[in-house]
Amino acid sequence: MNSSDEALRDRIIELLPRLRRFARSLARNPQDADDLVQITAERALARAGQLRPDHSVASWLFAILRNAWIDEGRSRRRRESLLDPEDLAERIGDTAAGSHPELLCVQDALARLPEEQRLAVALVLVEGLSYKEAAELMGVPVGTLTSRLARGREALQSMLSATSGVLP
Amino acid sequence: MAYADGELDPGTRAAVEAAMASDPQLARRVDRHRALRGRVRSAFDTVLDEPVPARLLEAVRAAPAGPGGDNVVPLPRRPVRRWRRPQWAAIAASLIVGLVAGRLASLRPGNAGPIATRGGRMLASGVLASALTEQLASSQSAADPVRIGVSFRAKSGEYCRTFSLRRPAALAGLACRAGENWRIGVLVEGPPAGAGTYRQAASPMPPALIAAVDAEIAGEPLDAPAEAAARARQWH
Repeated sequence: MNSSDEALRDRIIELLPRLRRFARSLARNPQDADDLVQITAERALARAGQLRPDHSVASWLFAILRNAWIDEGRSRRRRESLLDPEDLAERIGDTAAGSHPELLCVQDALARLPEEQRLAVALVLVEGLSYKEAAELMGVPVGTLTSRLARGREALQSMLSATSGVLP
Repeated sequence: MAYADGELDPGTRAAVEAAMASDPQLARRVDRHRALRGRVRSAFDTVLDEPVPARLLEAVRAAPAGPGGDNVVPLPRRPVRRWRRPQWAAIAASLIVGLVAGRLASLRPGNAGPIATRGGRMLASGVLASALTEQLASSQSAADPVRIGVSFRAKSGEYCRTFSLRRPAALAGLACRAGENWRIGVLVEGPPAGAGTYRQAASPMPPALIAAVDAEIAGEPLDAPAEAAARARQWH
């Protein structure tokens, strides 16, 4: 264990609130989201040597988190389709107890977007990345990113304006 | 959309602004994009105010750092455990609710700082321990390294006190008497360092701390005489 590993560890700890926010825009359940953050931190530390000095640590971590989310996606969907009703009720209770109502409302809408649109919205609107950064992170051209973002936005807009009078 | 996201260069921006001035429909569309961005952003910003769960911090501290590359041995993963709700609630109410940010890097075991970890629990030490035992909220000065907030008796019977400190980091927390020690149940990022005199004038308790006090308190906070009496009994 050397000092640059420790610097990375400290940086990860600093970024935990942002990683948790990003994870919550992908996984609705707070525990699932925190599991993603934990997996991300563990993978990042295990691969500390892969981080280039000129690379933004935040973007690198977001990319690891996004991959972890995609990896988990298949098994998560399988698990959720098998959950018994009691478990489901409990999870919903946990979610509701831990989150702000407005957050739940936006998360619900976001959860209904296709994965690619959800990622685009999460990176640009929630995390405030530039189009270029978000496109690099997703491994697509900027044009693809903006079209996913535009479609995701339209869908969100109509879902959210149906649930509240905040937007026209 | 690109305009609302701040993606345009100054020339194009100016052109869009000119077009918006003469085209109310375009202006409305830009407003809608901005409003959506603001709404999504502020909804998720509530996550930033949540205390980071202690288990996450522990995991990051404990995770081995490797050289990278393809020969990395896969890490044993924490088994994904779903807590039954009552268990979760009990733990959340009585144990560590959270810590914030790499500020604690200097607070590892063996360090003579204000917080020591022993057997996985955080205990007050040094200036913090003595302030919790000796300092009265009713007579403290701005120069004290630790500021005591409210003192109260918890539902579980022991005395608890909120505190904030500026060094080695701006932290605020809740400590409860455990034998001769003070067990720190909640530790969150305190008011920003450098807020100077403003901080002294009105240092707001972080929301996570208020929630923890609400969850733990039995009755009302101690008033000055009750606080002094509790100190005289060494908080037992």
